Amino acid sequence: MIILALDALDYQQVEKHHCKNLMQAEHGQTDISDFTLPRTVVLWASFLTSKNMEAKIPIEGQWEFTLQPDETFLRFVENHHTVDVPALSLKQRSHAEERDLLKKYFQHETTIETYDSVVLRNHEENKKEFFKSMGKFDLLMGYFDLADAVGHLSFGVPERTSEVYTELEGIAEEVRSSTDDTVLIISDHGMKALGRYGDHSENGFYSLNRPLKLRTPKITQFYGLIEERALR
Amino acid sequence: MGDSGMDDDLSSLERKSISMIREAKAQFKNMAVLWSTGKDSTATLWLCRKAFFGKIPFPVIHIDTSYKFPEIYEFRDRLAKEWDLDLIVTKNEEALTNGTSPAKGKLDCCTQLKTEALKNLIRKEGFDALVLAIRRDEHGIRAKERYFSPRDENFSWNYADQQAELWDLYVKPSEDFTHMRVHPILHWTELNVWQYVKREGLPINPLYFAKDGMRYRSLGCMPCTTKIPSNASTIDEIVKELETTDIPERAGRAQDKERAYMMQKLRSLGYM
Repeated sequence: MIILALDALDYQQVEKHHCKNLMQAEHGQTDISDFTLPRTVVLWASFLTSKNMEAKIPIEGQWEFTLQPDETFLRFVENHHTVDVPALSLKQRSHAEERDLLKKYFQHETTIETYDSVVLRNHEENKKEFFKSMGKFDLLMGYFDLADAVGHLSFGVPERTSEVYTELEGIAEEVRSSTDDTVLIISDHGMKALGRYGDHSENGFYSLNRPLKLRTPKITQFYGLIEERALR
Repeated sequence: MGDSGMDDDLSSLERKSISMIREAKAQFKNMAVLWSTGKDSTATLWLCRKAFFGKIPFPVIHIDTSYKFPEIYEFRDRLAKEWDLDLIVTKNEEALTNGTSPAKGKLDCCTQLKTEALKNLIRKEGFDALVLAIRRDEHGIRAKERYFSPRDENFSWNYADQQAELWDLYVKPSEDFTHMRVHPILHWTELNVWQYVKREGLPINPLYFAKDGMRYRSLGCMPCTTKIPSNASTIDEIVKELETTDIPERAGRAQDKERAYMMQKLRSLGYM
């Protein structure tokens, strides 16, 4: 099974940009209404464990929060690999650098261009590692924060958002054309514009290459689906 | 368009605004008008004077953040005397004592020193209607405003559920609001205001006029307002400049607020 974990991939934007490969055979919006705040680490931890992890992950120190593989659906698969997944295998140094530049931008100490170039460099590194791992594991989960990281400073700039969705659509196309395995594409939350900037929204997204007719599933419900696929 | 055509347009805008101000005064028992001393609110005060034959029959509120330009305070005090205004100057003293300032967060500063200061005054004086000089062309969200706009105690405004204002019939008071916002120049543009300032010979804050190739196009607090490049040093030159520019009026201020708001959102999500 392949899981593409795309941070802040927005249901409405996928439709607006007609991203057929991201939509796959079945796509829809996820339900994250049980969460007080759409926080990245909390939502991915909840996806990985099937439990609402909001109370267990305080904001302070949230990025360092790490689950053991046997606390997640990875326990059902012996041969697995995850690339940069929050609450599991997050590349601390890369993300700390992105957050530091984000802070510097708001302190007028750096530009959006500098911030975006670091985000893009990290994205390319993850892409390389992810595609190198394709076909070698029973479960491969790759995390890409491009839509979230670029979106926070540029979601309200249509040209920039189109570039992001074109890039993510390209990844989905490459994945789909190189596997017959089940492909789940999922985001933690969506995004909404705040002037030129972007804030987290409840427009979370999922898609599957094999239709299951899910109806606005909760982000915690995919655990059962992954377990079932893994044990089959 | 010739001058007489422009005057006809301005007279038509003026008539509608004055009728709205009189309608509000007839409907509400305890109203007041907000005055920042900027061109829009000064033009609105002038309309209020005209509506009531020279003397405004309700208080004029100036919210003093303590961070305004000295020229604003001078202009305020001079005009209050000349126009015999019943001026109320209000401040959020508690927030100022606690150190609220733009340096500690612009969004929080605006909320404390402007919004909370006004909320406190409304509670104290029991105002049931406030006249505000906002215009639809200032900002996207203001385009959704109505001439009469009910607000609850948190100043909330449900823009998705508003009554239509057809044939100059405005929203009537109901039990769902604590005060009514009245916007008599909502239908004016920035250019209309300057043309009106010129026609009526209104006094204007000198900060609007260019010095050394720069001028203020919109007035706020000193740390949060930036100048624009301009050589317009008279009202005629400002009118001429506005006829050709496509830069939004509040460009120097709106982006700062968006930036401050986004920073606060990212903090709440744990990014910084």
